[in-house]
Amino acid sequence: MYKYVSYIWLTVAVLFVQIFLLDNISVALWLRPMIFPLVVLLLPMEWRTVWVLLSALGVGCVMDLALGGAGLYTASLLPVAVTRRSVMYVTTRRSVEAGDHAELLSKLSLTQLMLYIGAAMALHHILFFVLETLSFKAPFLLLAVIVASTIVSMLLAWPIARLFLAKVVVK
Amino acid sequence: MHRLIEFIKRIYVVVLFILLEGLALWQYAASTPYTEAKILSRTTWFGGLVSGAVSDVAHFFSLPDENRVLTARVAELEQTLDREREMRGGGALPVEQVEAMGFDYVRYRYYSANVVSMTTNRQRNYVVVDKGEADGIVNNMGVMTPDRKLVGYVVSCSENYSVVMPMLNTEFGIGGRLVDNNYACSIRWSGSSSHYVEAIDLSTYANPQVGMSVEVSSERLPEGVLIGTIESYELNAVSTAYSAKLRIAADLAALDNVLLVENVHYGEIEELLESVQSN
Repeated sequence: MYKYVSYIWLTVAVLFVQIFLLDNISVALWLRPMIFPLVVLLLPMEWRTVWVLLSALGVGCVMDLALGGAGLYTASLLPVAVTRRSVMYVTTRRSVEAGDHAELLSKLSLTQLMLYIGAAMALHHILFFVLETLSFKAPFLLLAVIVASTIVSMLLAWPIARLFLAKVVVK
Repeated sequence: MHRLIEFIKRIYVVVLFILLEGLALWQYAASTPYTEAKILSRTTWFGGLVSGAVSDVAHFFSLPDENRVLTARVAELEQTLDREREMRGGGALPVEQVEAMGFDYVRYRYYSANVVSMTTNRQRNYVVVDKGEADGIVNNMGVMTPDRKLVGYVVSCSENYSVVMPMLNTEFGIGGRLVDNNYACSIRWSGSSSHYVEAIDLSTYANPQVGMSVEVSSERLPEGVLIGTIESYELNAVSTAYSAKLRIAADLAALDNVLLVENVHYGEIEELLESVQSN
């Protein structure tokens, strides 16, 4: 059984950190850490895609309203929501099978979990920054922003993901 | 209905995703003039790509109709061209005689037709076309492709359809000549291959070469209708004539639109030949 309240708390906490902390820290122009995709990535893998999609829509809308993204956050998060099972399969060769009673995420090894979250975060950051710039006139700068931001986002998201999966999700 | 519901059930997540993503992008595009211009240019490019692809598919399915129109146009132009040749003195009759006959005079009349059915794997193959007596088709009219390659000639007509004997028929026979030196020959099909016919009774002075073209020399068709090219040749057993193997120019297995050609003097020529033979 899923602890739905825990998921709600995770969402609130992550969005709070993202909106009030990370978005106000200006380390460098080319560094934009974003951990809010974690909310979608940590949803139970057994959930039907349509619910994950609607959850991503909710998170994206909140981000857009709070940070003035005008649809940018939503547009970059929805593809992650739809493709997360594929990302999981490509990175870990694991997929949801009939008869699974435990959360699939809790069965992953640390490496597998890192690969899954890292790949999904990278996908999100690529979409976000490409949509934000809408230009390939400075491809190396764009690549640097994506790589640096993904690494920092991953470093920030990793402890949250580990803590949440270890303490909250039922094994 | 059940299948439709199953289909919708299967794709509704994708449809919902496309809808939501489209809305988000639209909202984002409308947020600033820069994003509007950028996204608009990308969507215009993508829209052009999609509409181009759709247009190509639609065009592909309209090709048979276009072919019919073009073949009819080719028939009309061939007729006009023949008329012009006659007027310039390059035809069989003197210019004065052609002028006296009036503007409607032509030696060859062209009709376009579509192939309804055909065979290529028998000893006696036939082609059925969708024009008959009601359209002015008569026996012995020559049949060629729009790019002037020989197909055969009409052997039977009903009111709306005609049967054409193509080169791929063991009873087929027509006169030919080498394009390079005008030496005459007879064209026959041995029934062995659907890609080759034989040119027989070719003079020993003809000096045939591999690659030489052979065109029709017959009252049924105008000049310049190609039969094929020589692939190989040999002297006959008594060394009195050459016989050559010709690769057929027209793709007889993939006929679609054809031109039927009527020599308006054909009946007169036939009568003349019969009177000579009977004397």
